[in-house]
Amino acid sequence: MMKKKTLPNSSSQEPNLKGTIISVSIVGFIIVASWFAVFGLFLSR
Amino acid sequence: MAIEKLLKYEQDSRFPLTLSKSESRLYMSFISFAFIALFVGGLMGLLQVLVRSGYYTLPAGIDYYQVLTVHGVVLGLVLTTYFIIGFQYTLMGKTVGISDTQYRVAWLGFWVMTLGTVMAAITILYGKASVLYTFYAPLQAHPAFYIGLALVIIGSWIACFVNWRQLYVWKKKHPGEKSPLLAFMVVINMIMWFIATLGVAASVLLQFIPWSLGYAATIDVLLSRTLFWYFGHPLVYFWLLPAYMAWYAIIPKIIGGKIFSDSLARLSFVLFLFFSIPVGLHHQLTEPGVQTTWKFVQIILTFMVVVPSLMTAFSMFATFEISGRRKGFGGLFGWFVHLPWKDVRFLAPFVGMLAFIPGGAGGLINASYQLNSVIHNTIWVTGHFHLTVATTVILTFFGITYWLVPHLTGRKLTPSVNRLGIIQTIFWAIGMTIMSAAMHIQGLLGGPRRSSFSEYNGSEQVAEWGAYQVAQAIGGTILFIGIVLMIYIFIKLAFFSPKGNEEFPIAEEEKDAEPTPMWLEKWKLWVAITIALILFAYTIPIMDIIQHAPPGSAPFAWPIGNN
Repeated sequence: MMKKKTLPNSSSQEPNLKGTIISVSIVGFIIVASWFAVFGLFLSR
Repeated sequence: MAIEKLLKYEQDSRFPLTLSKSESRLYMSFISFAFIALFVGGLMGLLQVLVRSGYYTLPAGIDYYQVLTVHGVVLGLVLTTYFIIGFQYTLMGKTVGISDTQYRVAWLGFWVMTLGTVMAAITILYGKASVLYTFYAPLQAHPAFYIGLALVIIGSWIACFVNWRQLYVWKKKHPGEKSPLLAFMVVINMIMWFIATLGVAASVLLQFIPWSLGYAATIDVLLSRTLFWYFGHPLVYFWLLPAYMAWYAIIPKIIGGKIFSDSLARLSFVLFLFFSIPVGLHHQLTEPGVQTTWKFVQIILTFMVVVPSLMTAFSMFATFEISGRRKGFGGLFGWFVHLPWKDVRFLAPFVGMLAFIPGGAGGLINASYQLNSVIHNTIWVTGHFHLTVATTVILTFFGITYWLVPHLTGRKLTPSVNRLGIIQTIFWAIGMTIMSAAMHIQGLLGGPRRSSFSEYNGSEQVAEWGAYQVAQAIGGTILFIGIVLMIYIFIKLAFFSPKGNEEFPIAEEEKDAEPTPMWLEKWKLWVAITIALILFAYTIPIMDIIQHAPPGSAPFAWPIGNN
C-alpha cells in the first residue's frame, strides 16, 4: 500500500476558506440557474 | 515569466498622506456636484415611475422624454463621473500625493466638465435635447448639447492625465517599488476610460456636431450607435471599478481585516481593462448590418468578464471569512456574524455587493444571443442596470460618502448619522427590490423600456403590465425618500456634524503576504493587449459598417429631440 503523502508544513497555516468556496459556488449556481430559466422561456416562445 | 519581486513596500512610513485644505476643497467640489445631480436626477426618476403607472400626468406641458433625458444624463453621466473623479483624486492624494501644477490642472478639468454639463443641461431644460442619454441618431438635439458632452469628456481626460502624471512622478521617486494598490487601480480605470471615450468622442466630433450644425445633411446611424456602445459598455465598468476599489482595499479595513491578496486585486483590474472594451456589440445583438460572427466573438469576450468578477466575489468572501475566523468565529458560516452590520460604512456597500449577484446573472442573460431576444428593449434591461449601477455602485458610493465627506470637511460621522444611514440603506434596498423586480418581470412579459405610458389601444398583453407599473411607482417613491434622506445626510456631514478627524480607511496587506510579482506593473504590455483585443474585435465590423453603409439619415427633431 502506498504511503500517504503528507502536505508540507506551510499548508497548515493556509486559512480555512470552506465558507468562501461554498458562498462563491452558490453565486455561480444562481447565475447558471437564472440563465437556464430565461433560456427555458426562450424555448417555450 | 519574470520572478523578480518588487521591494517590500513600507506602507506605514509612506501613506496615507494628509490631504491639505485646498486639496479637500477640490475633491469636495466634485463630490458636491454629484449630490446635486443625485437630487435633480432622482426627482426626474420619481416623475417617470409616476407617469408610467398611468395615474399621473406631467404638469405644465412638460414632456416625458425631456424628464427621461434629464434622469439618464444627470445620473448616468454627471453624478457618476463627478463622484468617481473626486473619489479617485482623494485616493491618489492619499497614496501618491498631488503637486501644485497637478492641482491647478485638476481644477481646470473640473471647470471644463462643469461648463460642458451646464451647456448640455440648458439645452435639455429648454426641450432642445430630449434625445435620452444614449442620444441615438437620427434623433437630433441642439448642437450645444453635443458640444457640452464633448467638453465633459475633455474635462474627464484632464483628470486622466493628472492621475497618470501623479503615479508617474511617484514612481520616479520610488524606483523599483510597486505602486500603491489604490493608485494602481485608479490608473487602470482611467486608462480604460480614456480608450473607451475615444469612440464616443469620435462620434460626437465627426458625426453629431457637423450634422447638428447642418454641415452634413445625413448621418450614418449604425456607425454612430456602434461607436456609442464601444464607449457604453466600458462606461459600466468605469462606474463599477471605483466600487471595487472600495471593496478590495477599504472594506477590509472597516471590518478589521486585511487585504486578501494584493496580486489578485491587481490581476482582476488588469483583466477588467482587457475585457471591458471589445464587447460593445453585445448591446447591438438585434442590430441589422453587423455580422453575426463578430457579435459572437464579442459575446465570448464579454463572458471573459466572469473571471475577474468571480475573482472579486471570492476575494470578498475570503476577506470576511479570514477576519471572522481570526476573531474566533468558527463553523462554516459563523464568520458571517462578526461583520459590522451596525456600521453603515460597511452595510451600504455590502447591500450593493448582494445586488450584484442578480445584477451579474442578468448581465450574462443580456449578453447571450438567444436570451437577449427575449429581453431586448424591454424594461427588464432598465431593471438590470438599476441593480448594477443604481444599487451596487451607488450604495458603495454612499458607503464611501459616510467617511469621505467628514474626512474632507474635518468633521465626524456621528452615531445618529450612522443610524440614519442604516435607515437610508434599508429604504434603498426595499425600494429597489420592489422597483427592479417589477421591471424584470414586466420586461419578461414584453413591457418596453424608454417609452411613456400607453395602453396601446387596449391590447391584451398590455393589461398584464399594469400591476408591475404600479409596483415600480411604489418602489420608485420609496427610493426617492431614500434620496432625500441621503441629501440630508450629505449636507449634515459636509456642514453640520461636529468637528473632528474621521478616518480615511485604507486596508493593509498581511505582514507575511507573498510579495506582488513585478510583471503586474507592465503597463505598456497591458495597454498593448487592450488595444490588440479592440482591433481584433472591432476592425472588420467597423470597416464593414462603413463600406456597406446604407444611405445616411436626415435628422429627426420631432416628435422628441429638439422642438
